[in-house]
Amino acid sequence: MSHGVLSDAPKPGPSAEPKPLNQPGLPRDLYELSIPASNPQTPEKVALGKTLFFDTRLSADNSTACATCHTPDLGFTDQLTTSKGIHDQLGHRNAPTILNAMFNVTQFWDGRAPSLEEQAKLPILNPVEMGQKAPDAVVTKLNSIQEYNATFQKVFGRAPNYDDMAKAIAAYERTQITFDTPFDRFMAGDNKALDVSARRGWTVFNGKGRCMTCHAVNPTSPMFTDNLFHNIGVSAHKSDFVALARKGLALVEKGNTKQIDELALQTDLSELGRFLATKQTSDVGAFKTPGLRNILMTHPYFHDGSQDTLWDTIDHYNKGGVQNPFLDGGIQRLGLTEPEIDDLVAFLAALTSDHYAAAAKKEYARQKAHSRTTRPQRDTAAAMGVTAKAPGLKGPFGDVAPNPTEEDPALIGGR
Amino acid sequence: MPARHKSVETKYMEERDRVLRALRKLDRRTFLQVSAAAAGAVAAKGLVTPHSFQLVEVANAAVDKKWAQTGEKGNPPFTFAYISDTHLYTKALNERFVRGALKAVEDVNALDPQPDFVLFGGDLAQLGRADEMRLGAEILKEVKAPIKIMVGEHDWFLDMGETWQELFGPPSYSFDWKGVHVVTLMSVYEKDFWTARHMSPDERMHTVAGLDNGIQSRFEVGDAGREWLKNDLSKVSTDTPILIFSHSPLYKYYRPWNFWTEDADQVQEILKPYKTVTVIHGHTHQMLSNRIGNISFHGMLSTAWPWPYAPEGLPKLTIEMDRADPFDQFDACGNGRFNVAEGGLVDAVYNLWDRNPVTITYRYLASNGSEGRPPDPKSLSY
Amino acid sequence: MKIKRGLLAISVGTLLGGAIYLPLRLQAASEPPSHFVPPPGAGGVVVGLCDGETSIEVPWLKPGQRMTNEQARAVSNSLMSKWRERHPNAEWQMAQAGPNQAMAPAQAAPVQGGVYERLTPREQKIADIETAKFIEEGKEIFHDPGKLGGTIGVSCDMCHPDAANTHPETYPKYQTQLQRVALLRDMINWCIENPVKGKPLSPDDPRLRALEAYIISQRNGAALAYGKH
Repeated sequence: MSHGVLSDAPKPGPSAEPKPLNQPGLPRDLYELSIPASNPQTPEKVALGKTLFFDTRLSADNSTACATCHTPDLGFTDQLTTSKGIHDQLGHRNAPTILNAMFNVTQFWDGRAPSLEEQAKLPILNPVEMGQKAPDAVVTKLNSIQEYNATFQKVFGRAPNYDDMAKAIAAYERTQITFDTPFDRFMAGDNKALDVSARRGWTVFNGKGRCMTCHAVNPTSPMFTDNLFHNIGVSAHKSDFVALARKGLALVEKGNTKQIDELALQTDLSELGRFLATKQTSDVGAFKTPGLRNILMTHPYFHDGSQDTLWDTIDHYNKGGVQNPFLDGGIQRLGLTEPEIDDLVAFLAALTSDHYAAAAKKEYARQKAHSRTTRPQRDTAAAMGVTAKAPGLKGPFGDVAPNPTEEDPALIGGR
Repeated sequence: MPARHKSVETKYMEERDRVLRALRKLDRRTFLQVSAAAAGAVAAKGLVTPHSFQLVEVANAAVDKKWAQTGEKGNPPFTFAYISDTHLYTKALNERFVRGALKAVEDVNALDPQPDFVLFGGDLAQLGRADEMRLGAEILKEVKAPIKIMVGEHDWFLDMGETWQELFGPPSYSFDWKGVHVVTLMSVYEKDFWTARHMSPDERMHTVAGLDNGIQSRFEVGDAGREWLKNDLSKVSTDTPILIFSHSPLYKYYRPWNFWTEDADQVQEILKPYKTVTVIHGHTHQMLSNRIGNISFHGMLSTAWPWPYAPEGLPKLTIEMDRADPFDQFDACGNGRFNVAEGGLVDAVYNLWDRNPVTITYRYLASNGSEGRPPDPKSLSY
Repeated sequence: MKIKRGLLAISVGTLLGGAIYLPLRLQAASEPPSHFVPPPGAGGVVVGLCDGETSIEVPWLKPGQRMTNEQARAVSNSLMSKWRERHPNAEWQMAQAGPNQAMAPAQAAPVQGGVYERLTPREQKIADIETAKFIEEGKEIFHDPGKLGGTIGVSCDMCHPDAANTHPETYPKYQTQLQRVALLRDMINWCIENPVKGKPLSPDDPRLRALEAYIISQRNGAALAYGKH
C-alpha cells in the first residue's frame, strides 16, 4: 500500500520559514565558515529549495518528500523510531533533524556524506526512502514541470539538473538554524535565563556527566557536538552485534568485498555504523555525535530511535552504556543520582528555541510523567558501582568519582 | 554519459575493490611485500589507496628470503597472543584495571583462529599483594588458550616472590615450540636498596612501584640468571630461532625510569652467537621497537595505563604511538599478538584499543627501518 | 682638625695589586669630579689625584708605559705625600670593605635599578629554599593518590612520571577534554575528577597551587608555546 497521496505529505507553514540571523547565540564565524563558496545563499535559491523540500513528486510514486521525514512542525524530524519511506518500508535509522544541520561536518549518522548537497542526493535514490532508480529519472521529472524549468533557469541559469537541485535544497536547509534558546541567552550574560535546576544540570553536563567532551559547546561552536564518531554501546542492544562486527572485521582483513556486500544484504550490517564508511577497526559500531539543540523535539533518540525519553538516554549513559568489545573507552558509569538526572534533563530542555517552546513544554511533561513510572534502561546498581564490588568477574565494571563540592553552578564549567 | 551519483560509501567500496584487485594481480612475494608496507609505499608502487581505506596487515608474517638469516626448514608458522602489565588492585579499591584486564581476555578469546598460547607479560598485581595476584589468576583462568606467565617487579618486591612462585612456579624457565626455543627470563632483580634504609616490605614495594623516584636499584638479570641463561641456551644450536620473554627490556633505554637492564650488555653477549633472537618485553607500556645486532626487541602494551615516551634514549626504530587521551581509559592501552613465521621471524601486531591496529614487521626491523615502515603518529607526547 | 667629611680616593693608572680603591663621596654630591691635570713639562706622564687639585709628574714614565707594582706604589705614595703637604692636619679614614664586613648603608654602592633587580645572596638563598619546598610539596601530592583525594589508587605519576607529557608550556590552550580554553590548573582539576576519581580542588586550594608549581618546574627551559595542541 502506498504511503498515501500528495495531500498526506506535510505542507510548509510557519515552522518552515527561513529563520532570522539576529538570534542571540548565532555563531557568526562558524556560520560564515559553514556556507560553501560554491553555493552562496540567495533568497530565490532558498525559495526554490523550499519548494523542492516539500515536493513529493521527487519520489518515485509521488508520495514522499524530504518533509515527510523531516517535518518542520516536528522539529524537522518525523518523531518515529526509524523512518518510513515509500510503500511503507521501514529504514534502519532514526531521521536526524535538519535544524542546524548546516553546521555538521558530515551528514548521516555514519557521516558518509561530506555536505548537505551530497546528502540531499541520496535519500531520493534510496529504494526504501524515496525510491527513484537514478538521478536521470528525477531530472526528467523536474524538466517536465514548467514552474521548475523557469525557476531553475532564473536561479542557476540552466535547465534543472541533479546537482543544482541538491544545491537549492541545501540552501533552504541552511536557513533552518536555531540560536534563540534560554541557554543562548544565559551564555550571553542573562543568569536568570536558566532556572536553578537547569543551572545545576549545566554543572552536571560539564562535570560528573562527562557530556561536554563529546557534546562540545563553546561560544565559537555552540553546536553540542564534536563531529566525531563514538561507539557508545547502543548497537550492542542488538543481540547479534558483536558477531556481526567480528565478521565484518575479518572480511576486511581478508580483503573480501563481495562477501561484505552479501552480508549487508542478508543481515543488518547497518549497526556497524561508521565502520561501513571507513573500514577501520576503531569505527566499529560508532555513530556520529548529534547536536542537542531542540532535543525535546527530536525524540525518539539514538541512531536507531530506540530510546523514547531523555531519561532513558541518560540512564543508558549512567550505567556505562552497554558493554561490547568495541565500546569507546570514554563511556563509563557516571553515578548520577535521580535529582541530578532531573536537573540534566531540565538543562537539555533549555536548548529549545522559542518557536518550539510550546510543543517542547508538552513533550517535556509527557516524558517526565513517563519517567516516573517506566525506566527500561535504568540500572542503578550498575550506575552507582554497587554490583561490581560484588565477587565474581561479571561486569559491568568502572569507578565513580566522589561528588564535587557545591559551588555556584553558573560559574562551574565556565562561559 | 550521465554522471553516476554514488553514495560515498559505495565509492569507498569500489575504490577499495580496485586496490584489492590490483593487489591480487601481483605475485605472492610482491603481494606480501606490499601488504606489509605502509600506505605511502603502496602509493609509490602506483596503487592509490583512498584516504578512507587503510590496508590492514595480512595475518601472515612477511617472509622474504632476503631478510631471513636462518630458519629450520619445515617449521610451521604460529601465532601467540599476549596480555601484559595489568597492574591489578583489589576490586574493592579500583575496577578500572580489572575492566582493562577483562577486555584483553575478551579480545584474546575472540581471536580466530585461536593463538597457540597466550603470554602474560608481567606486573599482574600492582602492589604485590596475594589478593591482587589471586584476582589476576582468576581473570587469566578465563583465557581459553594456554597461558605462559612471566613475573614483573610489581609482583615480586612485596614478599620477594614468595606468593608469585607459590601460585605460578619458577620465574625463569624455557620450552621449545614448533622449532623455536622459548626462554622466559626473570630480569627484574634489584640489588638491595631497602635494608640500609630500614624499609618495611610495604615501603620497599611502594618504592619499586614508583617509576620515577630513583631510589630503587636498576633492574638486572643478575649473575645467577645469566649463568642459567647461558646454560639453557648451550643446549640449543645457534641456528635455532630464539624467543626471549623478559619483563625489563634487556637493553638500555632510559635509566631514570628503569626502562633499563643494568647487565643488558652481558645478556646481549650471551645471545650474540644465536642467529635469530627476538626479545619480547613488558614494563614500558608503549609501542616500542629496537634492533641491536642480531636481536629484535618488541615492547608490549599494558592493559592498565600507558607510559609516555622517555625524554631521551628512545630507539630510533620505534614508531611512536599517539599520546593518550585521558578521557578514554583504554586509549594507548591494549594487547596484541606475535606472528612467528618460518625461521622464527617475528611480526608484532599491536592491538591498540579504540585505535587501529599497527604491525611492526620483521623486515622493518631487519632492514633497519628502510622498508615496511608503518605510518607515523600525529600527536606525540611532549 | 678634621678634614671635610668624606673619604679620599686615590686611583692609580695600573690595575695590578696594591692599589686600594676607595669610594669617594663628594660634598657636592651631584657634581661629578673634575680633574685638572696640568700638562707634562718634563716629558713624562702627569698623574692626577681625584681631589681634582693634586698632581705630580712622573718624569721617567712614558705615555702608554706600564708600571710595575713597586713603581705604582711609589707614585701613589708620592701623590699621597703631596696631598698631606697641602693638608697637614688631615685625618682621613680608610674604609676597608672586607668580604665579611657589612658595609654601612652610606657606604653601599649606589642602587641603579629598583628593588627586584637585586637580591642579596642571602635573599636569593631564602627564595630558592622556599621555591624548592613548594615544588617538593607538589611533587609529593603528585605521587600520592591519598593526598590528591583520589579514591581508586591512581596518582598523577602513573601516566606522568617526572611530570612527563604534562606540557605546562602549552597553556592556555583549547583543551579537547574540556572543550574550552583551559589553564594548567583546569586540566589538573579535570584529571583529578576523571582518571584519579577525586573531588576537583577549589582554585585557592594549596594542593592545586603546589601541583601547578611542581608541574611547571619540571619543564624549566621549555619554550612557551601556548595553544599548542
